[in-house]
Amino acid sequence: MKTLMGLGAAALLAMACAPSAAGQERTAVKQGFDLRSQSGKRVLVFKPKVSVGSQSTGAMFEPNAEWTEQAKRNIEAALTEHQASLGNTVVEAPDASGEKALLVEEYVNLFDAVSQAVVNYQFFVGNRLPTKKRDNKTGVFEWSLGEGVRDLPGADTADYALFIYNKDAYGSTGRKLLQIAALLGPGIAVKSGEHKGAAGLVDLRTGDLLWLNADFAMGGDVREADGAQKRVRQLLEGFPGSVADQQTASAQ
Amino acid sequence: MMLSALGVIGAILMAGAAPQSKTRTAPPPPPFQGVYQPQGVDEIGLWKVDDENESKLSNSRAVIHDEALTAYVKNVLCSAVGNDRCNSVRVYIVREPSFNATMSPNGTMRVFSGLLLRVRSEAELAAVLGHEFGHFERRHTLERFKAQRRGTDLLSWAAVLSSFNNNPYARRSFDDLELSVYGSLLRFNRDNEREADLVGLGYLNVSALRPQAAARVWQNLMAETEASAVAKGMKRPRFDRVAYFASHPPEGERAAYLGALALPEAADRPDGADRYRQAMGPWTPVFLKDQIGLNDFGGSEYLINSLASDGWTSTLWFHRGELFRARGGQRDLVHAADFYSQAIALDPLYADAYRGLGLAMIKTARPTEGRAALARYLELKPEADDRAMIELTTASLN
Amino acid sequence: MNMQIVRFSLAAALLTAAPILEMASANDFRERGKAAKLSASAVSITPPRDWNKLDIRPGKFAETWTLDGEQLNDVTFYTGVEPGAPLVKERNKKRKPLPKFGAETLLVEVPELLEGTYRAYKEIGEFRLTGSKPGSYLGVKGVEFTYDYTDGDQIRRQGEAHAAIIGGKLYMATYDAPKIHFFQRNIADYRALISTAKIM
Repeated sequence: MKTLMGLGAAALLAMACAPSAAGQERTAVKQGFDLRSQSGKRVLVFKPKVSVGSQSTGAMFEPNAEWTEQAKRNIEAALTEHQASLGNTVVEAPDASGEKALLVEEYVNLFDAVSQAVVNYQFFVGNRLPTKKRDNKTGVFEWSLGEGVRDLPGADTADYALFIYNKDAYGSTGRKLLQIAALLGPGIAVKSGEHKGAAGLVDLRTGDLLWLNADFAMGGDVREADGAQKRVRQLLEGFPGSVADQQTASAQ
Repeated sequence: MMLSALGVIGAILMAGAAPQSKTRTAPPPPPFQGVYQPQGVDEIGLWKVDDENESKLSNSRAVIHDEALTAYVKNVLCSAVGNDRCNSVRVYIVREPSFNATMSPNGTMRVFSGLLLRVRSEAELAAVLGHEFGHFERRHTLERFKAQRRGTDLLSWAAVLSSFNNNPYARRSFDDLELSVYGSLLRFNRDNEREADLVGLGYLNVSALRPQAAARVWQNLMAETEASAVAKGMKRPRFDRVAYFASHPPEGERAAYLGALALPEAADRPDGADRYRQAMGPWTPVFLKDQIGLNDFGGSEYLINSLASDGWTSTLWFHRGELFRARGGQRDLVHAADFYSQAIALDPLYADAYRGLGLAMIKTARPTEGRAALARYLELKPEADDRAMIELTTASLN
Repeated sequence: MNMQIVRFSLAAALLTAAPILEMASANDFRERGKAAKLSASAVSITPPRDWNKLDIRPGKFAETWTLDGEQLNDVTFYTGVEPGAPLVKERNKKRKPLPKFGAETLLVEVPELLEGTYRAYKEIGEFRLTGSKPGSYLGVKGVEFTYDYTDGDQIRRQGEAHAAIIGGKLYMATYDAPKIHFFQRNIADYRALISTAKIM
């Protein structure tokens, strides 16, 4: 029962983020999905959840509005630019109210849950579910939000939906000191800063997750314009139809 | 800014020691300053996050989207703090059974359903909401945020350091430290709480409601906390840093202090208890069920009895029966059967009470009466969604 | 803010301090057609398709199986819960006790026991039993029931459970999944899975 284990699972998730990127995959595409460059698809984007701040010694998230605003602007701009370069049009999801708004919120939460499951149980090799191990061998990436996505506001005006989740906390000096102390101790992992990001492309007819890039240990300081661009590149790394990304990835 | 049970009680304790306040009532609020704008990195950051959270909240399924209920609670707030101030607030009723109300920096007020179950009049509700509004007006969230950051920093260090030591006592002393960090946060908070009390009572004094209600809210809460601890058989010494208040008599210096802040000549103003009961009407059974679900026997029993001080209703008897049947000891079951019978005496068509009665009787070796009660249940509620299970239960008695 | 934030961030602080040892152990494979024992009990299951058994267990009597992660499809088996015991491990025995299964607990009351456990453990109000009827589990007459609730992650979940009381002990299987898409997608897998449960 998930939530009875919520804390345990969360702990595991926290652990899952702690190790270095080694042994951790970040991106996957549904088998057989191919989005050609310049195919002129319309991509519906739900207001990205972006929050940026720092992380105190006690791992409390300290929000910083200026950083958040900057990051949001930077990310949105970089996103439009990125998609335009692929020949896709970004469609902003219309404002919803009442039941529709509840529905959007629920899908956003569900996307978070799915991407966490992907990161936790498929991308993170050490913790991979045995069935996913087998799936992976044959290159299977099968995750879906279900056909109900057709009811999302704006779904009828686009081919795909792009969900984005981004949370950044930069470690404070105190946090970094704690991290060093913890290294000396037995079996305690303290990570400094938290840089989670996930972007997923969902087919608006089937609800299938066509592509997901999720990384809970991302780089790129989104407080800076350059960093934000780097982050968007990273978030959209391996986005179907992009060739440039291959070069970016290998350059890193 | 959240009003936590512990924080408030801690504050009241401390408030008892505030000599200057004993001599005069809370002053009326200063003229409304108009819309406030956040300043500084921390505060602007908090507002931003708050705006995001509010938009999420307004689309959340955790919120009770009942227009009439929400409007009513907002009206009670307005009747306390006045329309000018009230306009800077959006009220959300959150379905969560704990005693809580929060007011965040951007003007989002969250009122938990557990609070609505606990206060018993408009004046009591206004006292709590006014107190919350006082935190908002004095911008306490920011100060507290900073204090918490200090507290949790300390605990992180302790967690790491105690991990070096591989014995159970290290863990225990970490727990103790955890308590004392809470304790120090409470001590830090007490000044804020005292100030919010003062501001809150200032609003009430100039309102049309009875300001003396404020003291009652906290007295009831202390009594509930104590009842809850007693039923759990908790040892007091272990909790003395947090829960020493539980052994305090409900009347005392604190009450005197809060009483003194209230305008004496306002004592016979209406408290709006009837209107309040009326407005909560359909929600009371829902909130009671949520409360009982917390498995806090002592606290729930206290609350039911306290609600019954206005007279026992069939709903109250029924839920008391549910509470006792859930705990399920033999004596509990005998009591439960009695409580269900009381509910039925007041409302002979109370189907669910027959169900509880039947089950309690079966478990206390009264199968014949039990079967009759269950049959009555199905008669009164033919579409019951556990019908087949009930039939199976009675059939197995043969 | 205040106490809630404190608790939340405490949890966060403690999370990062979780023992690293947990990480080493992996989730177990439950292969199609191969019988597997539940929690060192006499109950065995022969899954009709591949499943995973999660390493983290909710309690002494319980273990969780999943296809895609417990947040998306969660089958939890409660096996041989003894009178006086809670269904899952109590976070704090003293301060936050959970409802207990009892020698007197009737089959018809088992749904209420699960409801009480969820409500108390998760501290939620939004939980609804939506129906119960006679069913069978482990080849014994029992109860089959359904419910829904909204969890802390603000996702509405739906559940179905099968339970029986055998030799004074409770045996139960529950299936919980998001109402959107996931519940429907795997309900048949759950039913097929538990229909293979046998007590030796």
